[in-house]
Amino acid sequence: MTRLDGGHVDRTRALRFTFDGKRYTGHSGDTLASALMANGVRLVGRSFKYHRPRGIFSAGSEEPNALVTIGTGARAEPNSRATVVELHEGLAATSQNRWPSLGFDALQVNDLLSPFFAAGFYYKTFMQPAEFWEKLYEPMIRRAAGLGKLSMLPDPDAYGRGFLHCDLLVIGAGPAGLAASLTAARAGAEVVLADEDFALGGRLLAETHTLDDDDATAWIAATEAELRSLPNVRVLSRTTVFGTYDHGVFGAVERVGDHLPRPQTVRQTLWRITAKRSILAAGAIERHIPFAGNDRPGILLGGALRAYANRWSVTPQASETDRVAIFTSTDDGHRTALDLMAKGVPILAVIDPREDAPRLGNYPLRKGAVVSGAKGGRKGLSSIEITEGGRSDWFECAVLGVSGGWNPNVHLASHHRGRPEWSEADAQFLPPSELPPGMSVAGAAAGQGSTHGALASGAEAAKAALGLDTLPELPRAEDAPSRGMALWHVPGRGRAWVDFQNDVTVKDIALAHKENMRSVEHLKRWTTLGMATDQGKTANVTALAVMAELTGKTIPQTGTTVFRPPYTPVALGVLGGGDTGAHFRPRRLTPTHPWAKAQGAEFVEVGQWMRAQYFPQEGETHWRESVDREVLAVRSGVGLCDVTTLGKIDVQGKDAGEFLNRVYANMMGTLKVGRVRYGLMLRADGFLYDDGTCARMAEDHYVVTTTTANAGLVYRQMEFARQCLWPDLDVQLISTTDAWAQIAVAGPNSRALLERVVDGFDLSTESFPFMACADLTVCDGLRARLFRISFSGEHAYEIAVPARFGNAMMDRLMSLGQDLGATPYGTEALAVLRIEKGHAAGAELNGQTTAQMLGLGRMISRKKDSIGAVLSRREGLEADTRRLVGLQSVDPSQKIPAGAHLFTAGEARDLNTDQGWVTSACWSPHVEGHIALGFLAGGDGRMGEEVIAANPLEGQEVAVRVVSAHFFDPEGDRLRA
Amino acid sequence: MPDLSPLCALGAFDSRSERFGALRLTEVPDLGLVSIALRKGAEAPAPFGLALPGPGAWAEGATASALWTGPGQWLLELPGQGAADVVGLVAPEAPGCSLTEQTDGWACIEITSTAGAAPLEALRERLVNLAPGTLAPGHGTRTILHHMSVLVIRRAPDRLAVLGMRSAADSLWHALSETAARLETQE
Repeated sequence: MTRLDGGHVDRTRALRFTFDGKRYTGHSGDTLASALMANGVRLVGRSFKYHRPRGIFSAGSEEPNALVTIGTGARAEPNSRATVVELHEGLAATSQNRWPSLGFDALQVNDLLSPFFAAGFYYKTFMQPAEFWEKLYEPMIRRAAGLGKLSMLPDPDAYGRGFLHCDLLVIGAGPAGLAASLTAARAGAEVVLADEDFALGGRLLAETHTLDDDDATAWIAATEAELRSLPNVRVLSRTTVFGTYDHGVFGAVERVGDHLPRPQTVRQTLWRITAKRSILAAGAIERHIPFAGNDRPGILLGGALRAYANRWSVTPQASETDRVAIFTSTDDGHRTALDLMAKGVPILAVIDPREDAPRLGNYPLRKGAVVSGAKGGRKGLSSIEITEGGRSDWFECAVLGVSGGWNPNVHLASHHRGRPEWSEADAQFLPPSELPPGMSVAGAAAGQGSTHGALASGAEAAKAALGLDTLPELPRAEDAPSRGMALWHVPGRGRAWVDFQNDVTVKDIALAHKENMRSVEHLKRWTTLGMATDQGKTANVTALAVMAELTGKTIPQTGTTVFRPPYTPVALGVLGGGDTGAHFRPRRLTPTHPWAKAQGAEFVEVGQWMRAQYFPQEGETHWRESVDREVLAVRSGVGLCDVTTLGKIDVQGKDAGEFLNRVYANMMGTLKVGRVRYGLMLRADGFLYDDGTCARMAEDHYVVTTTTANAGLVYRQMEFARQCLWPDLDVQLISTTDAWAQIAVAGPNSRALLERVVDGFDLSTESFPFMACADLTVCDGLRARLFRISFSGEHAYEIAVPARFGNAMMDRLMSLGQDLGATPYGTEALAVLRIEKGHAAGAELNGQTTAQMLGLGRMISRKKDSIGAVLSRREGLEADTRRLVGLQSVDPSQKIPAGAHLFTAGEARDLNTDQGWVTSACWSPHVEGHIALGFLAGGDGRMGEEVIAANPLEGQEVAVRVVSAHFFDPEGDRLRA
Repeated sequence: MPDLSPLCALGAFDSRSERFGALRLTEVPDLGLVSIALRKGAEAPAPFGLALPGPGAWAEGATASALWTGPGQWLLELPGQGAADVVGLVAPEAPGCSLTEQTDGWACIEITSTAGAAPLEALRERLVNLAPGTLAPGHGTRTILHHMSVLVIRRAPDRLAVLGMRSAADSLWHALSETAARLETQE
C-alpha cells in the first residue's frame, strides 16, 4: 500500500527497517505499525492460545495483537507493541509465538482443536497424574502458549533515575492536557507535562479538526514552543506515567534511547514525580464490537483506522481499490468514513445498528444493520457478512473499522482503589468520585469527548487545581455531540473475540458463567481475560457488559476488576535503577581494606560491609588451613582483626547513665569512668535484641558498641527512646561507627605489641585491667581509644584511631609485631575463637532467644526498669528450659551441621521430640575436633549426655556430647592475665 | 605529629578529583567535622562567631560553617582541620555542649560547576528526591542517595557538597561520577 496524502510523517526522511528479516522502508514520524501498514504488511502476529493470524488492531498503547520482538541478541525486547514503537533507522523487528514462520505456524492446529481448548480447559484436563504437572504438562503448555521469549542474556543497557517535584503534573498532552498545562504554566506554576507518545497533541494528531479555523498542528506547535520556552515547565514526551502512588507520588518511565538507532548512555529513565496536584488527561480508548470472526487482520478499531489515515497517511488496504467498511454504533464511526473518503478511500458501507443513525456524508449507509461475520485467510479480511432485517449477505471487503464507543482512560485515577462509576447516559465508566488526593480528570478521560470539551475541561481543571482567577484564551474547536448506542456484541454461532490478546470469546464468558463464575474477578481468572501485556484495555468493559447481560444484572452491579500499576508494561531493569553487579547496593569498606587487599585477603559480605574472611598464605590450599593457622596464632602469639564494623554510638549528657540503664537490661549507670561493661539489650517483648560493650569515657560520656548487623537498628532504637520515650532526659546521641578504625589485638603477646605503639601509657594489669578503657595517644601523638576487652577469650584489646589512620595503624602493628607472631585474622577465625570461648553472636541472638537461654538471665537487673525487662519475666519465657550448651562430636572428625536440631538419642525425630538446635559450628584447633554451640532443653543439667544433631532434610545425623559452652579457658584466666 | 600516614576516604594517599563537562567532583580530605548537640535547656552557642542556622539551613563563617542536623544539633565544618583534634578546638567555643568528633565519619565530595547552577540542578534531580528549594544556596539536609544516607549542602549556586559514610565512599563516588558522566554525555 502506498501512502495517502497529508499526514504527519516526514517523507523527506526515509528509514530502513526489517520485519522477520525482510527489508522495508518507512519515514521519520512512523511507528512500526504505521510503517508495516505502509508496506502492505497485514499479518504481524499470532494469537496467544489458538495461534490465529492477527494484524494491527489499534494505534496506541492499548494494542492487544501487534506484539513483536524489537532488537536482537541481548537487546531483544519481546512483547513490544508495534503501535507505540517509534521507527528508527535499522530497526529490526521479529514476529513472535509462531513456528516455523509467521505465515505458516504449525501450532495453528490449536485453532482447529479449539473446541477442546475452551476457558478452564487446563484446569480440568491436566489434573492427573499429579506428578505430570510439573514435569510434563506445564512445560508443554508453556512452550505452546505464550508471547515473546526473553533473550536469557544479561541486559547490556544502563537505566537512569530521577526525581521531579511540581505544583501540577499533567498526564497526557492531548487537547485537555495541553490546555491544562498552558493555563498552569502561564500562571507561573511548576508544571510537568508527560505523554507516552513521541509527539504532543494526542488525539488532535489523528483528527482533521481545525482549531481557530487552522490546522490543529499549528496550535499544537505554538503551544509546545511556548511550554518548552518556559523555565517553570518540564515537557516529558515519550514518558508514560504508569502508576499513582501515595502522597502525590507518580511513577513514570521516559524512553530516552529506545527510539534511536544506537544504544544510548541511558536507555530509559525512571522518574519519581511528587506533585501537589495532578490532572489526568489520558484520553479514552475505543471499544470494539465482538462479532463472529472479528479477529482477522484488516479489522481494526475505527478510531485507529482514522488515526492511521490522518496522522500516518496509511490504511491497511492491500490495494487502493480495496473497499473499506465501517461498523459503528456511534456517530464517531461515521467521521472515520468521511475522513477516509476525503483521502479517496472507497467505502463499502457504514453499518450502524441504530435505526435512526445519522448520515454525515455521501457514503452507503446501512441503518439497523450489523456485521455478523468475517472471512479471510492468514493475510487478512476478504469479506464481511452484513445482517439487516433478518437477512444476511456477504460482501467483499478488505478493511473494517469497528467503533463501539469510547472508554475513558480511568486507570491512573483508580490506582487508589477508587472504582470507576458507570454513566448510563454516556454508556461509559467515568473516573471514580473518590479520586487520589490532589487529582482531577479532564478531557476524554472524564468523558469530555469533543475537542472543545477537552480544551475547556483541561483549562478549568488547572484553574481549579491551582486556585486561579483567569483562563487563557483557548482556540475555537468542534463541539459536536457524539451520540450512540451501546452494542456489546453481535449474537451468533461463530467465535466472537472479546479479548484478542488472551483469545477470550463471548462463548468463553458464557462458559465461565455456566461454570458459576459470577464475580467479575472470577471471570477474569477463569478465562484469563484482561491479563498479560495489554491488561484488557480493549476488552474489559466489553467483557463485563457481556457478563452483565448473561447474569441479568446491570453493569454497575457487575462491577470492574481492580486497577493496579503499571498502566503499561515497565522493564524491570528501569525499576531496578540500573545498578547491577558490584554496584547493586552500596558497599562499605573497612579502614584497613587497602591493606587487607594487598595481603591477598578473601573478603565476605557482611550486610553492606566487605570484611576480610581469612588471609591465605602461600602453600595453603584450603580455607580451613588458613583459618586454623590464624586461630592458633591468636592463641599462641598475637592476632589482629579489623572490627570497625561493630556499631559505635557516642552517648553524652547529664542523664547518659540513666538513659543507658533504661536501654540496657543490666546496670550501666554504676559503671566507673575508665571501665567497660558487657551489656544486653532486650526487645520490648522481652527477647534478646543485641549485645555489646559499653565504655564510660567520662562522667557524662559513654561509648556503646553494638553488633555489626544491628548497628543501625540499635542506634535507631536508642534515638526513638531518646526522642519519644524519655524526652525529659538530658542525653545526646550520635553514631561514630565510621569515624574510628578499630582493631582487635588479641593473644598472649597483645600487651607486648601495644606497648610498642602507645605513647607512655601503662598497660600493666594493675593500672589497666581487664575491662578497662582509656583515651590515649599512639605513634607520637595520634589520639586513640583503648579498650581491654576480649571476644576471643584471650588477653586482648581493641584499639581505635581516627579512621584515616586505620590502614597505617594495622600496617604498623604488623611490622612491629613480627617477632611476637603478629598475624592478621579474618571473620572465620574470629568466629572459631568466639565459639571456642562460648560467646554469643548473631546466630545465638536470632530474635527467638532470651537472656535466660544464654544463661545470662540474672543480668536483667531487678533494681531498675529497662526496655523488655518486665516481659522477659513472663511465664512463657521463664518456663523455657533451653540453655546454651557446648556440643562436641563424639567422633571428632564428624562435622556438626549448623542449624541441625537436637534430639535425645533413641527418640523419634519430629517436632514433638525436638530438644533444641545447633546455632554455630566449627572445627576447633584448640579441641582438635568439631564443636558447636546450641540451645538444648534442660541443657545446663545434661552435661556429658550424648544427643543427636540431626538434619532430616539431608539425612544428616551426628552424635554429639553435651559440654560446657566454654571450650577454652572456662575460668577466664587468660583474659585477666 | 603522628608518624602514621593517613589515607583519604577513597583509599588513596591523595584525594581524588575528576571533571565531567561543567562539573568537577573533588574529594575533600581536610575537612574537620564536629557534631554539636545542646544539653537540656542550654542556649545555642556561636562557635567562632557563627550564628548556628535553623532547620534545613547551612551557614558559613570565616573559620567554620554549620549545618542544622536536628533540633538542637548541628554539624560544624572546619575547613583545613581534617587532622586536628577538632573537639579540643571547638570545646571552648561551645561551652556546655555535647561535642563528638565526626571528621572521619564522613567522606566529603565537593561538586563545582563552571556553568552556573543549571548543571548542579540537573545533578540534584538525578540523585536525590529533594524539591529545588530544599537545596537552594545556603540550604542543606540529610537525605537518601542511591540507598545511602548522606548530607547534601548547597554552598553556593555553583557549589554542592555531598557527605556520605566514609566506609561507603567508593559507592558514593560511583553514584556521583556515573550520574555526572551521563549528564555530560547528554549535554
